[in-house]
Amino acid sequence: MAKTILIVDDSASVRQVVGLTLKGAGYDVVDAVDGKDALTKLDGRKLHLVISDVNMPNMDGISFVKEMKAKPAYKFTPVIMLTTEGSEAKKRDGQMAGAKAWVVKPFQPAQMLDAVSKLILP
Amino acid sequence: MSLDLGDALQTFFAESRSLLQEMEEGLLRLETAPDDAEAVNAVFRAAHTIKGSSGLFGLDDIVAFTHKAENVLDRVRNNELALTEDLVGLFLGCRDHIERLLDITADGVEMDAATRQQGEALASQLGQYMGQPAPTLPAETNEPVQSVGGGRVADDTWHISLRFGQDVLKNGMDPLSFLRYLGTLGEIVHLTTLDDALPGAREMDPECCYLGFEIRLSTEADKARIEGVFEFVRDDCQLHILPPGSRVADYIDLIEALPENNIRLGEILVACGAMTQRELDESLALQACESARQESPQPLGEILVKRQIVQPELVDAALTKQKEARHRQAQEARFVRVHADKLDSLINLVGELVIAGAGVGLMAARNKDGAMMESVSGMARLVEDIRDGAMRLRMVEIGETFNRFRRVVRDVSKEIGKDIELVIGGAETELDKTVVEKIGDPLTHLVRNAMDHGIESADVRLARGKPAKGTLQLNAYHESGGIVIEVVDDGGGLNRERILAKARDKGLIQAGDNLADRDVWNLIFEPGFSTAEQVSNLSGRGVGMDVVRRNIEALRGTVEIGSREGVGSTFRIRLPLTLAIIDGFLMGVAESHYVVPLDMVLECVELSASASRNEGCDYLNLRGEVLPLLRVKEHFNLKGRSSRRENVVVVTAAGRKAGLVVDELKGEFQAVIKPLGTLFERIRGISGSTILGSGEVALVLDVPALQDEAARAGSSGVMV
Repeated sequence: MAKTILIVDDSASVRQVVGLTLKGAGYDVVDAVDGKDALTKLDGRKLHLVISDVNMPNMDGISFVKEMKAKPAYKFTPVIMLTTEGSEAKKRDGQMAGAKAWVVKPFQPAQMLDAVSKLILP
Repeated sequence: MSLDLGDALQTFFAESRSLLQEMEEGLLRLETAPDDAEAVNAVFRAAHTIKGSSGLFGLDDIVAFTHKAENVLDRVRNNELALTEDLVGLFLGCRDHIERLLDITADGVEMDAATRQQGEALASQLGQYMGQPAPTLPAETNEPVQSVGGGRVADDTWHISLRFGQDVLKNGMDPLSFLRYLGTLGEIVHLTTLDDALPGAREMDPECCYLGFEIRLSTEADKARIEGVFEFVRDDCQLHILPPGSRVADYIDLIEALPENNIRLGEILVACGAMTQRELDESLALQACESARQESPQPLGEILVKRQIVQPELVDAALTKQKEARHRQAQEARFVRVHADKLDSLINLVGELVIAGAGVGLMAARNKDGAMMESVSGMARLVEDIRDGAMRLRMVEIGETFNRFRRVVRDVSKEIGKDIELVIGGAETELDKTVVEKIGDPLTHLVRNAMDHGIESADVRLARGKPAKGTLQLNAYHESGGIVIEVVDDGGGLNRERILAKARDKGLIQAGDNLADRDVWNLIFEPGFSTAEQVSNLSGRGVGMDVVRRNIEALRGTVEIGSREGVGSTFRIRLPLTLAIIDGFLMGVAESHYVVPLDMVLECVELSASASRNEGCDYLNLRGEVLPLLRVKEHFNLKGRSSRRENVVVVTAAGRKAGLVVDELKGEFQAVIKPLGTLFERIRGISGSTILGSGEVALVLDVPALQDEAARAGSSGVMV
């Protein structure tokens, strides 16, 4: 069965590009427009990986990850954070929240696939 | 460097701090006995270990600096360099610098310019002691190795040592997927999984990762790419990557860096990929064969070298590590490290046991069952022994705290240009760990004060007919169920007139007041009181003595001063041995019970009906002394029968007396103190609670706080 990845980003284009790339590699993709929306997707379904932007309206990525990690069902779900310019402070915040992996925007689809394949087995 | 470096780094900090302390003790010992080879070794070992483990964490600044100090220490150790007082001073400076570097790393901040400069200054001073380049180079040099392979491990694969942090899984990282990804870079020729860190099934946390891997990888990729595989777990794992054909020295470093300590020599070598299991097995077989023929079997290491499987240096490194591990285990066997929380909960349980025992005793007494009472008293004795034993577990010697002051005294006396000797007495006196932890700050203050203000400069001392060298004593001894700590100096003593003048200035006393010496000395504990004419940077900022008293009182202790002009002063701190169980005095008020620490009770007197009673305030004429009274019943708004006879319990704390008016006196009582819940923390006048044998709760009165209230009520009453 294909593995499911949740993409959280307020930019539709990012969602689209990442979605296409991942689907092309054989993953199932769910998307959400911000942290609040993403929380509603944590409805008990099995997620193998979460890719989340940091800066988003309503609820930012770091708060979202914190809330997600508080849910027993998603405690162990790995998270890739999308940071804009590799800001160290933000990266650290993300790491504190439990997002240990990150990809710096802008990224090539191949980079994203590379990062994903480090974290989950196909 | 990120803040989240995991448990290992914390362990490293704790370990390094204790090593630094050993280093300091060794250096101070060397100052008086420069020929103490064991002390030199201890100092060297400490520096060496700090260097080694900081390298493990990639703390290059610490490695580089410690390395320089270590080189000079090595020359001292090899008797190439005489240990002068200056050199000891330099090493002490280096030790402080390493501590600063550790602090900087622990705080996760950048090194500031001042620290960097200081490091450079120390390094150049160290450089002077190196003179010509050291004739013997340290083990990690590029010297070609004698045996096969020309000093290089004859292998064209990368060697990767990987130890995952325990939190990896919690962070959503799957070690397996990284290994699989590593496989996409090339071919994993060999992989050993290390489960040495895996605890027993009972202690194992299924959410933690305990595994390590030794991997040999054949790939075209460069080091950066291999490292990139572990990018996301970089902070959570220990990663060592050795390129193909690495020098033997790199493998030696690797062996020293491996966290495992209980694996046998062969396994260590296999684990680091320097030889294969097959080579090990063959050698083992050979050894078994030899030992059948000879009396003493040939050591495995020699066989390995003879068979040109590994370089002798590798065997030596592995053997050293093995020896260290064994030595450490032998050391650890005599002591058990126990988490303080476990001890606390044991004490807590013992407290419950004391209470339950008292309950049974009460029951037996009520039923007038002689046999029962007999066995209960037997049990009570055992419970008491257990209680004492449990309390002793938490007792630590005060010597360690005292020894810290050797350095303080040394540094301060250099700084202020006075020659002062520290004499320590009663270092083996034991007291509760929690008390020891909290007494350090007040003691430091008193010691600095004594050195700065107490002990006079050498010429004044000579003029007064005293030896030029000042003496400061730290004494500890047990006295009536408590511990007394003294800070004694042979200085000028407190100046009564100056203190009085200052107190008058501050409005603390009236012009006509006639005070006993004791009361005068106690004035220096008033907030904002400082008589030092000029403020030095050591003490005398006018904050402090009041804080000292407050800190000590928070430990339910008292501090008193004895002083004689021209002869010296003594600061005497009295502390309870423990904060968990006290001897109390039980009193009944209306339907409730109250306890005060027994050592605060001076006497009990009956309250006669004729005792004066003004509105809102009470005071008693106690043999001509005005004793402010505090009616506990009214203070706590207790309702209920009022007894015909009331009693006054005269209590004292910090030299002030007050009378507590209670209904009944119930006598001595061993109180297991339970802290109040957070909800009740702010209630004034109560410091804790305890449970009586009958199951009822008694509150422990906070005498100083009650005294404040009594004094306030008393003084307003007198004024009106």
